[in-house]
Amino acid sequence: PQKEVTIPVPAKGGSNKEEDKKDNKDTEEKNTTTNTTTKDNKKDKKKDKKEETLSPEDEKLKNDLELLVERSRDEKEEIALAALEALKTEIRSSTSSMTSVPKPLKFLRNHYSTLVDIYKNSKEGKAKTSLADILSVLAMANGNDERDTLKYKLLGSGEAIASWGHEYVKHLATEIGVEYDIKKEENQSVEDLLKLVDEIVPFQMTHNAEPEACDLLLEVEQLSKIFQYIDENNYSRVCLYLFKCSYYVPGPDDINILKVCVEIYIKMKQYPDALRVAMKISDPELITEIFKLVENNKSILQQLGFLVARQKIVPDNFNYDSISDIINNSKLSEYFMNLATDLDIREPKLPEEIFQSHLDSTSAIADSARMNLASSFVNAFVNAGFGKDKLMTAEEDTKWWFKNRELGILSTVASTGMVVLWDIDGGLTKIDKFLYSQEKHCSNGALMAIGMLTSGIRSEMDPALSLLAEHINSSNTGTRISAIFGLGLAYAGTQRQDLMSLLSPCLDDDKEKMEFIGIVGLALGLIFIGSCDPELSTLFVQTLIQRGTAASESHARFLHLGLGLLYLGKQDAAELALETLKAIEGKGGEYARLTVEACAYAGTGNVLKVQNMLHFCSDGQENPHHGLAVLSIALIAMGEELGSDMCLRMFDHLLQKGNVHIKRAIPLALGLLSPSNPRIAIMDILSKLSHDNDPEVAQGAILSLGLIGAGTNNARIGGMLRALAVFYGKDVHLFFVRIAQGLLHLGKGTMTINPYHSDRTLMSPVAVGGLLALLHAGLDIKNILSTQSHYLFFSIVCSMYPRMLMTLDEDLKPLPVSVRVGQSVDIVGLAGKPKTITGFQTHTTPVLLGYNERAELATDDYIPLTNILEGIVILKPNPNASVTSPLASKKN
Amino acid sequence: MGNNQSQGQGDKGEKKDQPKYQPPPPPTQFGKKKKRRGAETSTKLPVITPHSKCKLKQLKLERIKDYLLMEQEFLQNYDLNQPKVDENSKEQADEKIIEELRGDPLTVGNLEEIIDDNHAIVSSTVGPEHYVRIMSFVDKSKLYLGATVLLNNKTLSVVGVIDGEVDPMVNVMKVEKAPTESYSDIGGLEAQVQEMKEAIELPLTHPELYEEIGIKPPKGVILYGEPGTGKTLLAKAVANQTSATFLRVVGSELIQKYLGDGPKLVRELFRVADECAPSIVFIDEIDAVGTKRYDSQSGGEREIQRTMLELLNQLDGFDARTDVKVIMATNRIETLDPALIRPGRIDRKIEFPLPDIKTKRKIFEIHTAKMNLSEDVNLEEFVMSKDDLSGADIKAICTESGLLALRERRMRVTHTDFKKAKEKVLYRKTAGAPEGLYM
Repeated sequence: PQKEVTIPVPAKGGSNKEEDKKDNKDTEEKNTTTNTTTKDNKKDKKKDKKEETLSPEDEKLKNDLELLVERSRDEKEEIALAALEALKTEIRSSTSSMTSVPKPLKFLRNHYSTLVDIYKNSKEGKAKTSLADILSVLAMANGNDERDTLKYKLLGSGEAIASWGHEYVKHLATEIGVEYDIKKEENQSVEDLLKLVDEIVPFQMTHNAEPEACDLLLEVEQLSKIFQYIDENNYSRVCLYLFKCSYYVPGPDDINILKVCVEIYIKMKQYPDALRVAMKISDPELITEIFKLVENNKSILQQLGFLVARQKIVPDNFNYDSISDIINNSKLSEYFMNLATDLDIREPKLPEEIFQSHLDSTSAIADSARMNLASSFVNAFVNAGFGKDKLMTAEEDTKWWFKNRELGILSTVASTGMVVLWDIDGGLTKIDKFLYSQEKHCSNGALMAIGMLTSGIRSEMDPALSLLAEHINSSNTGTRISAIFGLGLAYAGTQRQDLMSLLSPCLDDDKEKMEFIGIVGLALGLIFIGSCDPELSTLFVQTLIQRGTAASESHARFLHLGLGLLYLGKQDAAELALETLKAIEGKGGEYARLTVEACAYAGTGNVLKVQNMLHFCSDGQENPHHGLAVLSIALIAMGEELGSDMCLRMFDHLLQKGNVHIKRAIPLALGLLSPSNPRIAIMDILSKLSHDNDPEVAQGAILSLGLIGAGTNNARIGGMLRALAVFYGKDVHLFFVRIAQGLLHLGKGTMTINPYHSDRTLMSPVAVGGLLALLHAGLDIKNILSTQSHYLFFSIVCSMYPRMLMTLDEDLKPLPVSVRVGQSVDIVGLAGKPKTITGFQTHTTPVLLGYNERAELATDDYIPLTNILEGIVILKPNPNASVTSPLASKKN
Repeated sequence: MGNNQSQGQGDKGEKKDQPKYQPPPPPTQFGKKKKRRGAETSTKLPVITPHSKCKLKQLKLERIKDYLLMEQEFLQNYDLNQPKVDENSKEQADEKIIEELRGDPLTVGNLEEIIDDNHAIVSSTVGPEHYVRIMSFVDKSKLYLGATVLLNNKTLSVVGVIDGEVDPMVNVMKVEKAPTESYSDIGGLEAQVQEMKEAIELPLTHPELYEEIGIKPPKGVILYGEPGTGKTLLAKAVANQTSATFLRVVGSELIQKYLGDGPKLVRELFRVADECAPSIVFIDEIDAVGTKRYDSQSGGEREIQRTMLELLNQLDGFDARTDVKVIMATNRIETLDPALIRPGRIDRKIEFPLPDIKTKRKIFEIHTAKMNLSEDVNLEEFVMSKDDLSGADIKAICTESGLLALRERRMRVTHTDFKKAKEKVLYRKTAGAPEGLYM
């Protein structure tokens, strides 16, 4: 594709009529047609008096140039040579304004063809090559499509390109790009072009034109050459630019670009950055390689450990015993409590404090079972991770769970697991009392709580597995479901083989209903997320085929989702599975195909896949799976700003045109697009939809309001939800309003459920898995979330993570420093050293970071080990710290 | 379940006697500001960074194009695949009902006050104000206080809104028909033209150039210099060249009869400029409002100063405008308030000196180009003369000489004509203040 490059703006020098005429033409195209005629007349007149208005200096210059052109035709080589040299100096010495073409170039335009003729007729020698140089420059202003600049450059004397200035280099780079494509197509040698590229790239790299250098190398497929020109001044700009490009370049080029990034970072010893990009490619070998490089540097190793812990993966084939605490996330609870202490929010909160129903004008709502259940959920969400609440874990037993019925008890007891989230030592004892209860639902809830508690935490003792394994083959279906769902939450993303052998037989259990099978599928999907495990894949497909018509039941969606999760983000690897799924007929197969396709391309922004989904949506039938397709669009487009912005537009159309199934899915899709990121535009749409006549649309919108505000304490959403609570005072909707309020205050506003972290570049697969489980359940709100399977709300636990920045010293002790926190600014391809944040405030760590916020150190006493300050960051003292005013100095 | 919006509102209406906290009603959006945010922002295309020309920008633009194509395709497909329901007849029936409700003829009124979602106070031109219903089919987001609305002739209920938010005062300022003067009609002033282009035109056409260097383009320029040196002419040439919206105001237009009208006009002017961006605002004779502030007792002067303060705010105030460039012209820059021309508001000050010999020659050439000169005319004589001639003076000389020739019914202008004309013009120039009289 042709690159955009500034072609010299036609001259606009006040004195020159010819150029004015051109300008007129430009403007006329834009102007109204009425003006055109008058101007045309004027133009003709101007042409007549063109000659007479040249100023004397211009006149002289013009004559000189004409003379030189004439001379260059001279028989004697010396004279010709001298004339050409004079021409060159004339061209070079002309300093122009940026608004016009240099005068010599302008005057020589008319003689271009003469010079070409001279060139053709002159004999080989220095004069000829010299002339070629000049022609090359002149061709730039001549502006035809024949790439003469490049042609004559190649024929020329090969002198340094820099001598003609930036504009020339830019122009040349463009033509190389075009020429390269043509030559490649015709299978010609591109040696000469590459030689020229080798000359241009260092020039661009040393003149602050890194993006252009990258563009050129990308164009001629020689990106690896960039290594030679990387130094500490330009690597970060190059990498940033390439990284951004990789979002939009079609595969497999994107992976290649990212690999180059990794190598640059490794070369510059920026291991955390390298690791981040490696995780983006999700290449285990590369990750291990980076870990091996820093094996002996304890601090860096620890920092890398924090990074992989956030992504919830472990480096393969690497002995990480020394940092196992970090990678296993076992200290997460401790750090989180530290944050809570610092923010002074450890005191448990009651759901009523969130509802603020005393402010509402409605009379007190009667304690219905459903409202008690909602309170349990809210209690869990609000006090998540704090280890203490006033309903479930209070000192004196409040017997709260007695106030619930049947499955309500299950979810209520299970909520304990979220309250004591991540705290294995302290949490298990609190759950213990429920585990041996006679009430079946209570003990089942305890099982689920254990699973939730250990979510994302690896431990030597494996408490979840040892406690839950025995219940998997229990005679009670409820117990089995709880245990298996618990295991799924606990071991999400671990890909442990022993769990496969434990759980996969359950899929074959003919006696069980679809709900059970669905949960098994979901659990397996979560555990082996993104593994592409062929064995499991076949097993899933077999089950789908065996179950026949049952595969289109509502709960079967989790089996399909499980299959999809296996291929999460793996793109082409899912092709085989998609092919086999084509064999399954009926609605079940369709659901599975859509899910697998969407999951495989999750977060890639792949336009073709979005198009597929849209086609599916626009077939004009009333297909309940249209909703799934809408959700899939959001899943594919999320994580990339342009895509998600454009999706908003798309949803606008879908809302207007779409059938009821599409309408129901749109709120959920919006929730998926920006979880924990309360964008005003989305908020407005959801607020409108939350008053919809269709209850499922309204409920979905309310739930999504909770999702987009999750963990932000956003006052605007809070206000909306309170108004909705009054509005829907007596409806089922109220249950969802309550849940949304709980989500809004998730962890008292300290947590995020956004799967993207590390400056919004990395997608945590487990977090996506958790969100998807909830949203798929949301596709059938009536039968799943609002009736019996409300425990699926807990799948969100996989996505929860503190949205904090905590700084540690090299001994991993908390180290409060002052940091600036502000809105992040896109600085890709900007000149100089632009500010990365705007509108910042200075805080002392630990601090909370919003979705679009970045932090930077406000003192130069310390150097962070990673460039992106997010999550847990190790600082080391800066030997060159300025002693005087640490606050006034910039970050390093 | 199944509650729709309007019923819900009814519910809340009944509970008004409850003390404590009244929940905010579900959003009904009146007025302009809301409209700009809500639905419109979601339909706007995302902003592309970086601005500089590079592959990344191209890729991003292509991505957006892909999405737009998909949108188009979806809309087409959907309509094609939709089972043909006879919607037309239904729509037509609806339209008929609306027509009936509207009635005929319609009265035009002014929206004075919005009471609640369904009621408003309107005043018609005849006089009394009425408390009337707003029909449900009226687009409420277009209603704002002071809007011109259509009223049913019997019940006077609001049945429509007349668009036309822009103050007619500002609308007049838009230059619809480009002036005929172009850059070629300017003699000399090359440096000034170039500065002007760099500061005004280039930022609008090639913003990426500035970003590559890493600077913010200048916001505005002020042209100053002796009378008749071509300030307004240059501004006209800019208007002639550009395809951007060109708004021109004379400083004195900003002074209004009523308190607050001047600042309001300035605000309105810049709002329109922002809406039509990219745009150029040209304020001629800025010294009418922009003189130095001083303690003044007269209300009129204070009002003028307030108008200037509004101008200051619009030039470099709280909201950043990128695509609005300001050109000002004055011949008394020393009387202007320093705050008005500080960098950041007006980044470039372009001086228009009296023409030098070369320029004079050019100006003469321009003005005599279409004249019928006799052979004896020696323009060099005038060009080389020591008198202070401005561009306008030269034009006056040429015109005057032509008139003299006309008086004598000649078809050609002779050298003597020019001589006489020059004397006349120069005499007139000094005639106002006889030398040394008031010294």
